[in-house]
Amino acid sequence: MTTSTAPIAARTASAGTLKRALALPALLFLVIFLFPFIAGPHYVILMFSAMGYAIALLGLNLLFGYTGLLSLGHAMFLAIGAYTAGYMTSTRITNFELILLVAVAIGATVAVPIGLLCIRYVKIYFAMLTLAFSMLLYSFLFKFYHLTGGDEGIRIKVPTLTAWDLSGLDTLSVLTGPLYYYVFALLVLLTALMRCLTGSSLGLQLRAIRENQQKAEYLGVNVKRYRLVAFVIAAVYGVLGGVIIAIPVGLADPTIAYWVQSGNLIFMLLLGGYTNFLGPLLGAVVFIFFQDQLMSFTEYWRLTFGVILVMIVIFFPNGLMAAVDRGRWWST
Amino acid sequence: MSAQSRRNFLKLSGGAFALGSFAGAPAFAQSPPVKIGVLAARSGVLASIGECALATVQWWADGVNKAGGILGRKVELVVEEEGNPKETAERFRKLALRDNVEMVTGLISTGSGLSVGPIAEELKTIWMSWDATTQKDVEETLPNPKYSFRSTDNEVEGLMASLLTVKHFKGKIKTVANLGTDYSYGRNMWETFMAMMKKYDMGVAPVADLWVKVGTTDLTTFVASLQQAKPDLIMSSLLFTDAFIFVKQAHAAGLTGASKLVMPAGGFQLNEMKKQYTPEGMILGHNSMYFEAPNASPLLKEFVAYYKGKTGLFPHFEADRAYSAVASWKAGVEKAAQQTSGKWPSKDEIIKAIEGISVESLGGTFSYRPDHIPDCNFYMGFTTHNNPYDIVTISPVETLNTRDYQKPAGADFFKWIQAKQFPNLS
Amino acid sequence: MLASANILVGGVFHAAVLFLVAAGLQIVFGVQKIVNLACGSFYALGAYFGISALAWAAAFEVPAIAYIPILVGSGLLLAIVLGPSVERLLRLIYDRDEHFQILLTFALVLIFEDAIRLIWGAVPLQTINVYFAFGELRIASDLAIPNYNLIVIAAAALISAAFGWMLRRTRFGRIVRATAENKQMSEALCVDVSKVYMAVFTLGVALGTVGGALVVPAGAASIDMGVELIVDAFAVVIIGGLGSMPGALIGALIVGFVRSAAIWLYPEFELLAIYVIVITVLIVRPQGLLARTA
Repeated sequence: MTTSTAPIAARTASAGTLKRALALPALLFLVIFLFPFIAGPHYVILMFSAMGYAIALLGLNLLFGYTGLLSLGHAMFLAIGAYTAGYMTSTRITNFELILLVAVAIGATVAVPIGLLCIRYVKIYFAMLTLAFSMLLYSFLFKFYHLTGGDEGIRIKVPTLTAWDLSGLDTLSVLTGPLYYYVFALLVLLTALMRCLTGSSLGLQLRAIRENQQKAEYLGVNVKRYRLVAFVIAAVYGVLGGVIIAIPVGLADPTIAYWVQSGNLIFMLLLGGYTNFLGPLLGAVVFIFFQDQLMSFTEYWRLTFGVILVMIVIFFPNGLMAAVDRGRWWST
Repeated sequence: MSAQSRRNFLKLSGGAFALGSFAGAPAFAQSPPVKIGVLAARSGVLASIGECALATVQWWADGVNKAGGILGRKVELVVEEEGNPKETAERFRKLALRDNVEMVTGLISTGSGLSVGPIAEELKTIWMSWDATTQKDVEETLPNPKYSFRSTDNEVEGLMASLLTVKHFKGKIKTVANLGTDYSYGRNMWETFMAMMKKYDMGVAPVADLWVKVGTTDLTTFVASLQQAKPDLIMSSLLFTDAFIFVKQAHAAGLTGASKLVMPAGGFQLNEMKKQYTPEGMILGHNSMYFEAPNASPLLKEFVAYYKGKTGLFPHFEADRAYSAVASWKAGVEKAAQQTSGKWPSKDEIIKAIEGISVESLGGTFSYRPDHIPDCNFYMGFTTHNNPYDIVTISPVETLNTRDYQKPAGADFFKWIQAKQFPNLS
Repeated sequence: MLASANILVGGVFHAAVLFLVAAGLQIVFGVQKIVNLACGSFYALGAYFGISALAWAAAFEVPAIAYIPILVGSGLLLAIVLGPSVERLLRLIYDRDEHFQILLTFALVLIFEDAIRLIWGAVPLQTINVYFAFGELRIASDLAIPNYNLIVIAAAALISAAFGWMLRRTRFGRIVRATAENKQMSEALCVDVSKVYMAVFTLGVALGTVGGALVVPAGAASIDMGVELIVDAFAVVIIGGLGSMPGALIGALIVGFVRSAAIWLYPEFELLAIYVIVITVLIVRPQGLLARTA
């Protein structure tokens, strides 16, 4: 993992570097913004999904990239988001903002006790404990079908928006139109928020804890509290992402929480570059689109993905952003 | 005739047929191919089921193309994988929006079905489902599907198994046990069975209610638990690998001798129901297709021979689910084309034509009701070792038609059972 | 009462299977500090390869007595072929953060899942003759335990004992333990650590493949059998204590019995019971029941 004093240095960077440094994120966001105009509907919905994953990964990156905790159970928060959307849209409360708020509330409420338990441990134990919790949720969702619908899950209807009247629009138009931009705005907002968080003292503390837990403790950093904060923030981002990802599917079902999904999330993060702030977004987009192409190309796409992951882990652990990284404004 | 020489024969005869009809029908080269999307499970628990169905569709497509295609257009299959609901929804949209397929066929899992149904309706893509139907599907998500054509209610095989149980075991059993597959289908089966036991005053009490997690490969504890409960009859909705593993382990422990067995969907695993451990006198269900049906049509015989030659295995009933879906659609296209003087009909016209249509499928006559739910034959019977194979077969084969055993559109299933006078089994 | 004995044996049988897979996890973690998510995959590969080996042997009409050695042999052969290659791959990232090692093994899970489908196909496979070839233990007129189950249990116990003996009594075992405790010191004392790592990893793989091969006659081989087992195996090592071989045994027995008891008494909680125990152990005694170090 890299140590870096980049944020401080960046603040004193010249205007030219800043301009160059802003280029890549701006470009990415521009492409995503224009996407419904340049790509067909199938791809636009994929991008919709990718935005959801990007949001979830922003949180996971805080936990893994900045705090050094590898969660093999992050998918459980995506599931919580999805099921919240399911329960709420089956009532009369179909408002998107409200769904997000409720999801955040539930996600945070669940994350605090789980987090308190998990962050006492590091590395392997943290990974295994998070895996255990996510599989517990999976089993619960599967078994208690009277509450959760079991393997059939809960239907998710397209939510309504406060700022936009969606009546008369079919689902495809909504997903590639108003809701797409809503989610885009949310993505930009959450990205900016995460940037602030990581650039702030919180980010510094987390990095210090990641580098050397004992040293951080001696320096007066409350390790447990900061880890918990990171965990809960990651959970909240995960829940938000989960709501978004599940809407095009139209169904919240237990497979969302399965441990292999958590593995895929880490895969995406590594692909994009976990040491890099833009890694989550890039990783999500590349992974989703590449998987789409690959699945049509060969039935043995899992094998291909496995090989790619091996290559990344061995040769390109810092992911795609390491290849693209020119300026340092957005690197950790 | 060996598989290879049969293939050659088909090629030659198909070629001759095509040549013969060359004068009348438009050649392939002039019309664009008709693309059909296939969503087949290829990994996980459903893999062997999806592979059989996919192979059937490919065989059907080959046959159709040899005979000149559909309205002169060559059939081209675009195959995607059915995975979890999210992946399946994505692949469905890809087929509909990017590949612009005329129709999508496939799907086995109910969860994916619940996700895809509304998408099919919304994208106005005809979806000919193989499976993926349970009570909930029919009641909640798509009460009036226009573009989706479902599969039969799964409960039919539960009804049939119950009726056979009543017919042969009334007064002879006092206790029953459930060894269910732990998801919605298994629950439906058990509820159906117990409702029927009650309806016919069988006077049986359940002494065990066991649920096997999907994907389990070790059932020794379940076997032991059942032995402790000592039921007269075990109703098991197991249908995956666990189905035959159960029978194998039950036999080893002496359970198959002590309790009667009923496995309504066990036919999925027919190739693994080996004589060594599968008892005679077990009620085994083969859903909509039994490879050795008493009045097997030439179509079925040809297919079974083809499949056996290609894979070394007998096909299970998902083959018929797949065949009937695509064959009905083709028949619908051709029927609608009669009104449009040979031009390719619109989706609405095709849909209207499929409603009420009747085709010859692998499992016999197959038709779609106006509510897009099919009617077909169901096969079930008592197992016997009296055959030249290493697996059990059923004899005599009880056949029923869903016309008398499947609930009508919009009806509440359990209320309907209560009131219904089921015709006697032959 | 007698049927309870059957349930007991069922629990022990399940435990035996779990133990073999978990032991493979343990030895690799204990020495190399790698959590091998692919341990379930090796188990699955062992099962499939065992079936192939038996099918091949059937052509030569070997007597029933040869089945067990053939199964064990095929498992060992597979391990000798796969183990070193996979270990070489892992070796490339030994010096990295252990997170990467977990992720590499996750990649292997994906690769092996498709590899199995590529080689053996999607249809579940089984072998028929072996399970019934050894007779049965008749407890009552309608109650029997197939002797094969007992053989598997005995084999697991034997392997467990052999391991204990190997670790404690042989020179190799001492070297392994030393390397596990202090790699650098071992290196300083002229132990070829890379060779030890390769041997240990292959041993870990062998436990999985032999376990899969031994168990498959009682059931069947299916594509997803590895992925499902991981979670159980994890549960076992957490309960028993990461890195502890006796812990694997205790953990396996606990998980096996809890499973059986749940199925028998309270099926609703069968799935959840294991996780609840895992989480409880992790909270109350995170190092596991038998680990020496936290």
